[in-house]
Order: sequence, then C-alpha cells, then structure tokens
Amino acid sequence: MRGITKRFPGTLALDGVDLEVAAGAIHGLIGENGAGKSTLLKILAGDYRASEGSIEIAGEPVEITSPRAAREHGVGIVYQELSLLPNLTVAENISLGIEPSRGGRIEGQQVRARACDALEGIGVSVGPDRKVSELSLAERQLVEIARVLTIRQPRVIVFDEPTAALNHHDVVRLFEIMARLRDSGVAVIFVSHRYREVLEICDASTVLRNGQRVARVERGEASLERLVELTLGQRSATAFARTWRGEPGETVVSAHGLAIGSRIRDVQFHVRRGEIVALCGLLGMGQTEIARALIGDARDVNGSVAVAGRSGIPSSPRRAVVAGAGLIPEDRQLEGLFPDMSVRANISIAALGRIAVSPFLRLISWRRERRLVREVGTRTGIAPRVLPRSVRTLSGGNQQKSLLARWLLRRCDLLVCLEPTRGVDVGAKLEIYRRLEDLAQSGAGVLIVSTDLSEVLGLSDRVLVVYRGRISAELDPRTSSEQELLLAMQGGIEGERHGLLEPEAVA
Amino acid sequence: MALDLTPATVAPPLRERARDAAEAFGTLAVAGLLLLSFGLTSGPFLDGTNLRNILVQITVVGVAAIGETLVLLIGGLDLSVGANVLFGSVIAGDLVQRQGAPVWVGILGGVAASAGIGLLNGILTAVIGIEPILATLGTFLVAGGLAKIVLHSSWIVVEAPFFADLVRTHVVWDLPLMVIVMFALYAIAAVAMRVTTFGRSIYAIGGNPRAARLAGLAATRIKILTFTIAGAFAGIAGCLQIGQLGIVSSGNAVGLEFQAITAALIGGLSVSAGGVGRVERTLLGAWIVGMITNYQTIRGIPPNYQQALLGGILLLAILADRLFRTRTT
Repeated sequence: MRGITKRFPGTLALDGVDLEVAAGAIHGLIGENGAGKSTLLKILAGDYRASEGSIEIAGEPVEITSPRAAREHGVGIVYQELSLLPNLTVAENISLGIEPSRGGRIEGQQVRARACDALEGIGVSVGPDRKVSELSLAERQLVEIARVLTIRQPRVIVFDEPTAALNHHDVVRLFEIMARLRDSGVAVIFVSHRYREVLEICDASTVLRNGQRVARVERGEASLERLVELTLGQRSATAFARTWRGEPGETVVSAHGLAIGSRIRDVQFHVRRGEIVALCGLLGMGQTEIARALIGDARDVNGSVAVAGRSGIPSSPRRAVVAGAGLIPEDRQLEGLFPDMSVRANISIAALGRIAVSPFLRLISWRRERRLVREVGTRTGIAPRVLPRSVRTLSGGNQQKSLLARWLLRRCDLLVCLEPTRGVDVGAKLEIYRRLEDLAQSGAGVLIVSTDLSEVLGLSDRVLVVYRGRISAELDPRTSSEQELLLAMQGGIEGERHGLLEPEAVA
Repeated sequence: MALDLTPATVAPPLRERARDAAEAFGTLAVAGLLLLSFGLTSGPFLDGTNLRNILVQITVVGVAAIGETLVLLIGGLDLSVGANVLFGSVIAGDLVQRQGAPVWVGILGGVAASAGIGLLNGILTAVIGIEPILATLGTFLVAGGLAKIVLHSSWIVVEAPFFADLVRTHVVWDLPLMVIVMFALYAIAAVAMRVTTFGRSIYAIGGNPRAARLAGLAATRIKILTFTIAGAFAGIAGCLQIGQLGIVSSGNAVGLEFQAITAALIGGLSVSAGGVGRVERTLLGAWIVGMITNYQTIRGIPPNYQQALLGGILLLAILADRLFRTRTT
C-alpha cells in the first residue's frame, strides 16, 4: 500500500501512509488508538475507499472496491470481534455465504469436507459438526481463521488484535498458525498493542501515529523501548493538571489474593479516601474484570475484598452499592443510562431512598427530588434546564456528567469509573476530571480504569499496572512519563525478553 | 483523541413534549373517532345505557389489563392472566358457595390464589431466568388446570348477594359498583406508578435492565413483586367476573389474556421493550376494544368474526408500535 490518504469530513485519518509487507513474512502494525490502524485495514478490506494512494499485491496494482473484491484478490481479515453465528455448526460457519450448492440445495457433504480441509490446513482439531455456541473463545477464533482461509488463494491475511482475549497457551497456538501461513508464502499482518508479541513474531513492523507512518522497523533494530518511543512520539503536556492533592484517608477498598476465573490471580491493592487510583493495562490484561469484581459484577471471584469497610466479595451490584460503591461503565448507553427517562430520574435512580418521604413510606417527594438533583447537577456542571429532558437528547459529555451526578447523589464512598471520558468532547473531558478530583477531595475513593495514558498520568495519584492478570507495577504519575507507563503495560523492560513463550506460560 | 459521536443538536424539550402529547392524544383521537363513526352508523350505540354497558363489559378485562400493563412495563409478558382470572374466580366461588366461607374470605382466597400464580411467574422469570412468554405459557396451563380440578368439571352458581350487588348497585351516573371499582383501581395504579419508588424502579428496569442492576436496584425482587401484583389484579378481576356473570364455569375468561394484551398495546405499551407507557392509557385501550366488540354485537356480526377481527386489531397495534419505535430510535 503506497501513499494511502483517507479524508473524513473534518479530519484527515490517514496522511500518505506506506505499508509494505513481504510475502512469506509477518509484519507488525502498531500505534495508539486513533492512530489510523483500523482505517488502513478497512481500506485494505474494501470497507472504505482511499482518497488517494494505490494498493499493489504481488507487484500488480489492484483496485479493492468492495469486501468481495478483497476476497478475490486474496485478502482475508480476522477481526477482533468474531462474526460467527452461534447456532450453526463449525462447518456451516466456515462455508457461510459461499456454500457449495447444486440447484439451490446445499451440499452438506461438501460443506463438511471443505471445513475439514480448512481446519486441517491450520493444524486445528475442532470437530466440524460441533455448534459454535459450544466452543471456547479460542476455538471460535480458530474457526474464524479457518473461515478466512477458505478464500481461493490467500495472499494477505490480517490479524486484528487477535490475542486480546486469549490465554497464553492459545496465543502460542495462534503464533504457530501465523508462522505456518508465513512459511507457505502468505503476507501476514499482525495488529497488536502487545509489543512483546510483536517483537516475538514479526519480521518487520510499521508504526503509525496520528494518521502518519512514523517508522518502519526491521526485526534486528526493534526493541520494546524503541516501539514505545515511536508510538508515543514527543509529547509533554498531560491531559489534566491536578489542582488539589490531599493526604489520603482511611482505606475504602482493599483486595488481597483476589482471583477471577483462571486468568487473574494474586491481585492485591487498596484505594484510600481522597485518592484517585488508576488501573492500567493493555486490552484483555484483566483490569476491567478486577474493577467489576469490586462492584459485584463478575463471576468466579475468590480472595478477600473489603468495600467501604464491609468485608466480603459483593455478590451483586446491589450489595456493592449498599456498601457504598458506584460504577460508571465504559458503555453508558448499554449499562448506564435509562434512555426513556428524564435526566433527573436518571440521576436520582440510585438514591431513591434519599428522595423518598421516609424509609417506610416509599413515596417520592418530587420537591425533594428536584432540589437534590439540582444541587448535584450544579456540582457536576449540568444546567438545570436540561434536567426535565429525556437523557438521550444530551451530548456524550452531559450524559457522562449525569452518571457522575447519580453517584454524587448516592454519596458513594468508592466510585469505579471505566474509561471515564470515552466518546466525550475535550471541554467536557476537563470538566469530568475536575469533578472526579472534587469527589476525591470530598472524601471518596476513586478507581479509574483507562487506556488513555495522558488521562491516567494527569488525573491519578497512583497508577497500578495490570499485566497478565496481576498487578505488575505501581508508578507515581508525577514522576513517570507516558513512555515509562506504556513500557510497564507491555510487561516492563526488565524481565525476560522473550517472556511470552516461556515454558511456564505454555503450561 | 476522542470523537464525540452523539448528535450535536439537542432536540428542544418542546418537540419532545409535543411527541408525547401526540402519542397520548393519538389514542384518544382514535377513541373519539370510533365513538363518532359508530354513533353515526348505529343509532342505539351512543345511547347512555349502551355506553354504560360497554363499561360493564370491559371491567374484567380492564382490571386484568392493569396487571398486564405493569408486567409489560418491566419488560415482561404475562400469558397466564386469562387462566389466572378463572383460577381466582373458581377459588373465590368455591370458598363462598361450596365451603360456606364468608364473602371476604372468599375474595381474599381468590386474590391470594391468583397472586400465588403471579409469584410463580415472577420466580420462573426473574430467578430462574426463563423467557416470560414460555414461563407464563406454562403457568397459563397450570392455572387453567388447577381451576378445572377445583371446579370438578361442573360449574358454581354463586348466590351470595354481594357479587350480584357489584352490578346492581349504582353509585354515580347510574354506573354500577364494579365499574367504579375498576376506575378506582386504575387511579391507584396510575398514581402509584408516579409517586412510589417501586413505580420508578419498574420503569428503570423495563427501560434498561442491565443499567438498573448496576445502579443497585433490587431488580429480581422488584420483578417478582410486579408479577405477583399482576396476579393479584387477575384475582380481583376474577371476583368481579363472578359479579358480572353470577356463575363460575370453565368457559369464563377464555382468551382474556389476549384482550388484555391488546388493550395495553393500543394504550401504547410495547411487547418488545419495557419502560415506556402509562397505566391509565391501557384503560383507553380497553375502552376501544370494548367499543369495537359492542358495535359488532349491535350490528349482528357473529362472535367468530369478532374474534378474527380482535386478532386483526392486535396485529395492527403491534405494527403501529413497531413503526413508531423504528422511527424514534
């Protein structure tokens, strides 16, 4: 791909990007969220058309005008979100849309045979007659790969963040498949935020930043530090300058030996009143699960946890809320807001006890509701005139503020925020940081989970780095740089260089 | 760099309010239009006695539909109401007529029995997690079966004057007591949905169950309670039906669940999503269904045609809901 430029109304998503991948090689494509990786892939997949630039495959210029054209040119993409239909069998999924048929009748035998071939081709033993809904996540991914490989002559195969949801055993298996593809002469593109994995398997890598290619790094000259440096570039200012830092008070949440499922073990940390603590990790490292366990929204949790002085792992969000915790989820439409209710009702919903006439007579005092919601609205920067409106008419920033107001009204002791400023404009972002700081100042503990490095460093008092289901490091945001943080998220510079495929991880 | 993907233009609240009003008055307009056209094409339709008759005819469905409305609001569906109305009336009738219990014991027993079926619905759906349509299909058969077991494949003629008085006693404007009871129940339910934390919680859980759980609402408990209350309304409807018919037989309340659902849907509720709608508008829906049925009877349309037509109206209501929803979201 040469000189690819993509303009969207108002933004330049890609600016003359070159991407050159040799046949029989694995090529890494890295960059921060928003650097342009997915736009580039979509152009290659035929989902978007480039505004400028050209694509050549095996020396011949090609026009990729549609996903179908991409297939015909031998381009296959294994996406991060799997697209299999759970109720069909493995074989049916692999042949979906390209069923061999005679006179409108699907040839079951042929479907099965093709699936067996495809699965064998990548050295996988998944029964073709099993239903996809019975498969593990890793197995589904393998089926997805098999499906992508059914294109007649695969020449370019892209893996878009394939390892985020896999355990280490499955990552190794995936790498074997990628190596096998490489050996058969396919150009493999590996998109990942996990630089250790990139270093492990890629022959060369392209680094994108702000829609531009900043470097192409060959295997010999690549190192963790160099990739981190190239990804981030020179940036000085953090997203937010704290105006207040106080002495932390008593512990509001503590965890000892916390384990969730089989992937998160031995997690130990605490958050005190007046503190903003960030849990930071690459996608799929376990930070979200840890945060959700604290508010009773995770399964298979073990270990000892105390939320707001109440010991025991909360068995449901209600238990956690009663104990004094609150959650601002990363997807506010799905998990936060009541779209058909007013802003006011959205704010007061977690504090119905406060707006009731008495604890025994659960009648809502409208006057008290209006007064209290107006108060927290003022504190979070929500104009009183929007309070009676339906919450879905608000901007992303105001919606996020109303979730913040909800927990202010509840007077929670611990606020857990997942990606607190996702999909929020810059102005509202600053305002949300300010409110979270206020909340800490008023004596609550705040735990944020974020992948926005400058947000994490600017907002928090302590940064806990989660790596492979454990807290691997603690950084002081006042003295750490984004580079150091991203390095720590990659597993740290010390530690074994090829730590990924160490025997312990395979077993 | 984060992009704000939400629409920049904020809809003025006026437009929003206008839409709500249009929705509410839309149903009202349909009711008015039907009243007018039926009145013009059939002389006796607009007669005071006939209009009163319609009110009496919709009382049982109307009261059962209150419960159905609550269940729909919380995002559920109750197919068992019809059988549950019968079950309640059988228990009440059996206690009063065959066991010689006092009337209040009979009514309490009937309502409690129906509430018990509602409780079972709640446990099956909220605790065990069975789809409401399947769980209540099961309890529909259970309640109907239990009712027939208690009936002994016969019927009960209930002689206690209390029940007959429900129709005979006229309170205001010559309206029988049972109609007043229906209005009172609607008033209580409508007010309760607005001023109690329970009502607020029903709207929240129906609107976004996941968010409601994460906001710390006791979603399971509230769902169970809602289904139980819906059962109790079915029981009350059963007792009113004894008053209306004077007899309890297994043919009573057949298909009533569909009339109740139709009334709620015409009133603006949705089967596919909860959280939107008003209890009092279901009364309007029941009134519309009642008018249509009554008009057909006056015009001499045979009952079988009436049933097919009711089905058509139900489909129309679902279709209208679908169209409206896809337009607004």
